[in-house]
Amino acid sequence: MSEVILKDIKKVYENGYVGTHDVNISIKDKEFIVLVGPSGCGKSTTLRMVAGLEEITDGELYIDGKLMNDVAPKDRDIAMVFQSYALYPQMTVYQNMAFSLELRKLPKSEIDAKVREAAEILDITQYLDRKPAALSGGQRQRVAIGRAMVRDPKVFLMDEPLSNLDAKLRNQMRAEIIKLRQRINTTFMYVTHDQTEAMTLGDRILIMKDGYVNQIGTPQDVFNKPVNLFVAGFIGMPVMNFFDDCHLLLENGVYFAEIRGVRYKLSDFQQKALAQNGQAACDIVAGIRPQHITVGEGELKAKIEVSEMMGSEYNIHARSNADEVVMVIPTVDIATDVSMGSTVNFTTRPNLIQLFDKTTGNNLIWYDAESVARHEPVCKEYDF
Amino acid sequence: MSKQTSSDAKAAGGGGKVHNTLVYMRQHWQLYLLFIMPALVLTIIFRYLPMGGILIAFEEYNPIRGIFGSEWVGFEHFERFLSSPDFMRYLGNTLKLSIYGLIWGFPAPILLAFLLNRILSTKAKQKIQLILYMPNFISVIVLCGIVRILLSPTGFINMLLGTDWNFMTMPSAFRTIYIASGIWQGAGWASIIYTAALSNASKDLKEAAVIDGANIFQQIRAVEWPAIRDTVLIQFIMSVGNIMSVGFEKAYALQTDLNLATSEIISTYVYKVGLLDGNYGFSTAVGLFNTVINVILLISMNQIVKKMNDGKGMY
Repeated sequence: MSEVILKDIKKVYENGYVGTHDVNISIKDKEFIVLVGPSGCGKSTTLRMVAGLEEITDGELYIDGKLMNDVAPKDRDIAMVFQSYALYPQMTVYQNMAFSLELRKLPKSEIDAKVREAAEILDITQYLDRKPAALSGGQRQRVAIGRAMVRDPKVFLMDEPLSNLDAKLRNQMRAEIIKLRQRINTTFMYVTHDQTEAMTLGDRILIMKDGYVNQIGTPQDVFNKPVNLFVAGFIGMPVMNFFDDCHLLLENGVYFAEIRGVRYKLSDFQQKALAQNGQAACDIVAGIRPQHITVGEGELKAKIEVSEMMGSEYNIHARSNADEVVMVIPTVDIATDVSMGSTVNFTTRPNLIQLFDKTTGNNLIWYDAESVARHEPVCKEYDF
Repeated sequence: MSKQTSSDAKAAGGGGKVHNTLVYMRQHWQLYLLFIMPALVLTIIFRYLPMGGILIAFEEYNPIRGIFGSEWVGFEHFERFLSSPDFMRYLGNTLKLSIYGLIWGFPAPILLAFLLNRILSTKAKQKIQLILYMPNFISVIVLCGIVRILLSPTGFINMLLGTDWNFMTMPSAFRTIYIASGIWQGAGWASIIYTAALSNASKDLKEAAVIDGANIFQQIRAVEWPAIRDTVLIQFIMSVGNIMSVGFEKAYALQTDLNLATSEIISTYVYKVGLLDGNYGFSTAVGLFNTVINVILLISMNQIVKKMNDGKGMY
């Protein structure tokens, strides 16, 4: 069992800057959790506190049921992979991988077996006698992962391990990490600012902003059930379209979303959820993902400014009055002229419209005040 | 994980960048020449042209007749110096002072840099560095004055020890006084170069070592020492190359009639014979002798270091 529990973890620096506010999360054994957010959001700080590289100002950290706040990093049974690889330049690949085991004074035969096994898994056996300077970025990252692997850690910490690689290699290494995870099957904490990595790697994703956790959930949850405007805007590529100054209408017990004068009767689920929440009519920000827009139908109109043919789909940047609207339309679905300068009608299915309170930015359906009060924000659960 | 991408291959061979830089430099050589010209001219004027003055070592130099008008005596000054009954004593004193100074004085700034690097608070570090650098700005003569006062029979050291020894008259104490005061004055300042080199040590690498379970000494061995090793080697080669160049000022200022047995070194001898007695040819010959020994030591040490350091030396 290598469960990691962060309980009201807070980091305040000497100058008073608060790195993280009351981070709460319970990471299950063998779970892969991804911490994601923009620069300065506190994701690396959280990871470094788990690693023991940053002191925890307040709160409790448990690894495998043991309080770790004052335990030295080497005694936490963790391993960390850094963005810069952090390989000792004067040592060979073999020596780099064996270093931590030598410090633990393991028998040489055991060290050798562990290093060679990890090298075999990562396909770096042929580089064992080379120094890091003689390796490419991808090979160095594999060595860094191998160095962590040989320790057989309870928790595998990764701090933006793919950020230094080019796009092609990043995609390749991402797939390698997925395969690796299946082989070594331990608990992972992975920090990234890349939402694609977060969505593809994580069992759950923890989204942070300004030191606060905004939402914890599965990739599907954070994509389909964003609890606030930030999460909705951060997750998803291209970014969700937001229509300001829209209205949630309640007429004879039926909810409607009014977007630029066009009324959408909300789905049964939305009706029930809003009713359960006792939601009154109010001003809202309506969010529609670019992939959820259909062109050639509906009453909303937009003039296409840029039309990017991506192969399997068109990325269309259009202007609808004051709003910039991005649409992703599968090439096979195109029956309308989407060339630059043309005007198209567009619409969406009401059940795909995200409704955000105009004042608070919280999702009227998915925001869960109770979990936020516990500092462990998740999307609201409904039993219908 | 066996697939190799083209970017892997590209990253592995970083020679293209160097080649491009060389091509660019060749295309714009005038610009580079203009850039190095001031340094080149100054070096020629102040470093190479004065070398003509070594002719004095082979002459009975007379300032009125000048270098080209003075009587040529060949190696007479060298023979005189090498056959002098005190030659071995001066040479021995010089070498002992220099080698002991190297043994004790060379590691001091390195250790200081390691210690400074361990201070986490930037403010505290800056204040400590300021205190350590200050002695460097005291002139040698003032320093020697302070040393003399501190070590006088009624001085602070004797007060601490409860004795009334006159350290300045003890030949056995001279080298300790000379080297210890040198370390006190120069170690802080000399640590700057190592502190700067240590700042290049990767923070991630330090943290990786901490997670790997390395203690302070293992961290120094695995992360910090490799970061400064090349700098240390270059400094060491240069120090060995200066082994015969013990400046006369400090030795002369700390010299007393009673400690001459250890304090009389080649440079103080040259000062006395050359400048006080006006024997310029002889003093230049001794200076040239020193320089030749230094050059031999520099080249030898560089070769030794290259053999021990994967072919990396000063040149």
